[in-house]
Amino acid sequence: MDIELQAIGENGKDGATCSPNERVAAGNGDGGASRTPDTAEKDGLLFGQPASSNGETVSSHHTTEAQRTLGNTFCPRKMNSVCRISRERVRLLLIIICIVVLICAAIGISLAMCAAINVDGDDNFDSSSFKVPRSFNGSFQLPNRVFTEELSTLSSNESQALAAGLQEKLDHLYRSSPALGRYFSKAEIQAFRNGSVVIADYQLTFVMPEEQQDQLRNFTLSREMVYNVFRQFLYDQEADESGGQMYIAPVSLNMLLRL
Amino acid sequence: MFLWQYLTLLLLPITVQICKAQICEEFSDLDLSHAIIGTSLRTRLLLYTRDNGTCGTLVSHTDLSAHPRFNSSRPTTFIIHGYRPTGSPPVWMQKFTELLLARADLNVIVVDWNRGAANINYFKAVENTHKAADNLTAFIEMMQRHGASLSSIHMIGVSLGAHISGFVGAKLNGAIGRITALDPAGPQFTGTLPEDRLDPTDAQFVDVLHTDIDSLGFREPLGHIDFYANGGADQPGCPRTILSGGAYFKCDHQRSVLLFFDSFNGTCTSRAYPCTSYKDFLDGDCMSCARFGAAGCPVFGYDVIKWRDVLLTLGQTKTFFTTNTDPPFCRTNYRVEVMIWNEDLRFGYITVKLHSNGKEAVATIDHKASEFKKFTETTLLAQFDKDIQSVKEVSLKFSTGNALKSKYKLRVLRIRLTHLEREERPLCRYDILLQQDKEVSFRPVPCEESNF
Repeated sequence: MDIELQAIGENGKDGATCSPNERVAAGNGDGGASRTPDTAEKDGLLFGQPASSNGETVSSHHTTEAQRTLGNTFCPRKMNSVCRISRERVRLLLIIICIVVLICAAIGISLAMCAAINVDGDDNFDSSSFKVPRSFNGSFQLPNRVFTEELSTLSSNESQALAAGLQEKLDHLYRSSPALGRYFSKAEIQAFRNGSVVIADYQLTFVMPEEQQDQLRNFTLSREMVYNVFRQFLYDQEADESGGQMYIAPVSLNMLLRL
Repeated sequence: MFLWQYLTLLLLPITVQICKAQICEEFSDLDLSHAIIGTSLRTRLLLYTRDNGTCGTLVSHTDLSAHPRFNSSRPTTFIIHGYRPTGSPPVWMQKFTELLLARADLNVIVVDWNRGAANINYFKAVENTHKAADNLTAFIEMMQRHGASLSSIHMIGVSLGAHISGFVGAKLNGAIGRITALDPAGPQFTGTLPEDRLDPTDAQFVDVLHTDIDSLGFREPLGHIDFYANGGADQPGCPRTILSGGAYFKCDHQRSVLLFFDSFNGTCTSRAYPCTSYKDFLDGDCMSCARFGAAGCPVFGYDVIKWRDVLLTLGQTKTFFTTNTDPPFCRTNYRVEVMIWNEDLRFGYITVKLHSNGKEAVATIDHKASEFKKFTETTLLAQFDKDIQSVKEVSLKFSTGNALKSKYKLRVLRIRLTHLEREERPLCRYDILLQQDKEVSFRPVPCEESNF
């Protein structure tokens, strides 16, 4: 009996949602009173059952059927099923739209996240924090230049012009280096000497941040790196510049860390 | 009248030639109907020497003295074919004898057990291997009586033929010189005891090539040295689906013979690297040849006999190499070491191209995404489709296979390329910015001694 009564109550509420004007009449047990005759006729098997349900053992399934019909009393009978189907359809449609919107949002957010994560942190650096200097000294030969007395004094015009040209070359080479560019400070030509050809002494200065300086010393700003970036640059130029006045012989390059 | 005389003179030698030609014995040519009915074993021995390189002589099992061409003082090489489900003669047999005779003055004996191997029922053919081995053993014992030494005997067995060689070797107490097994058969032999299959005790030296361990071949090592070409399973250029017909079944298996042929070509050698697994080999963990001393890692094929002594001291050695899809199959291996300075880990595939005088060799390292870590050397194995002398230019490409990571860059501090087979100064390049999927070309410089 408990089951039956509960079922009636639920179905009564269910029915009520169909039309707001509906009279919430389907109370437990006495809901049968508001039932229209043709509904009752249709459910011949259940006829009169809710009214005289006390004491009778009827399966709750049948009761449910009866009460559902009962609850929909105020919808016209023909419209009854249409009303329910369209309601279910709208609900289904809403759910589908909701899911689609959710999926789109999830994709959008993940795309945005990926793009954000993909921002390459390696491009960002704060050169103002680079304070620890690191210098390299060395020399190279200019096989296409003839040594003149003027070159031995750095203040002379010829010497100044050649030094400026070479400095610019070194500047450009290290500034455009992806790994070393940010640490590069300056390149200086310190002197020209007379070998069998012109020998130039140079000094390179880099500055590095306090943190990570040990790693930088061992890898990025190691002698091997600084030297070979210069060396491969010279090999690259060999083909098109080997006749020029500023041509540096790659094998003549040497470099030492300045302590 | 004069004309007749002239004609007779002309025709006589031709007739003699024809008569001579008629005694050329051919390999038994059976067809599918034989295979369906089933054939009973008949072992024919066809002798080829430098005097009759293309014209076989049928050798008697009982009387060698009838064959003046058989010279007991020469080394003897047997070629033993495998299962013939259609009964057709092996297409590679003729070329095999030619290549062997071109290399050395041998008695080449083609063991024709096509009647016995041609059977729809594989199990019958397997049964016949034991009987064929008995026939061969009796023949070799007779050879011994005619003064041939067992250690000068080399048996080359393909598929089931490999196990026949093993049985013969076992019956002769492992005294024969060498057994070469080309993709020894797996079905009915996998998981059996050593006496029921080929094993290293069957000859003084047993070298084995595996090309189809996942279907017709044998997975486990069987010799003193086992070569797993391309890991031993799927061979490049072989069909992956059944849509390609019969080739789907036999391509991987038959590749073993083609690879062995390639090894006769002196310009194309495949070095095989000892390793525990194919994965480790591809990962570049097995590039050391130190255990072989100055000779370096063994070269796959006919000439691996040069490594015999060192291999015998090592017991059983599993080695790996990769091949191209077509002949020449050999590839050129380089060690590639990359160090980056990206803060974060990077994963991706590297493609390296070597250029010289209009020639180009390509290696793609894509068996898995390689890991690159800041200031840590990543070691990779790059396998190039051909060997390039004096490399003038190198191209590099980094890819992740991920469209979302299109902005990825690999910031390379140094890349070093070392030829694994030639004593050459490694090639280096420093400070490269590799943008994803963009190829960067540069001129490599000889590496300086590292102080990283």
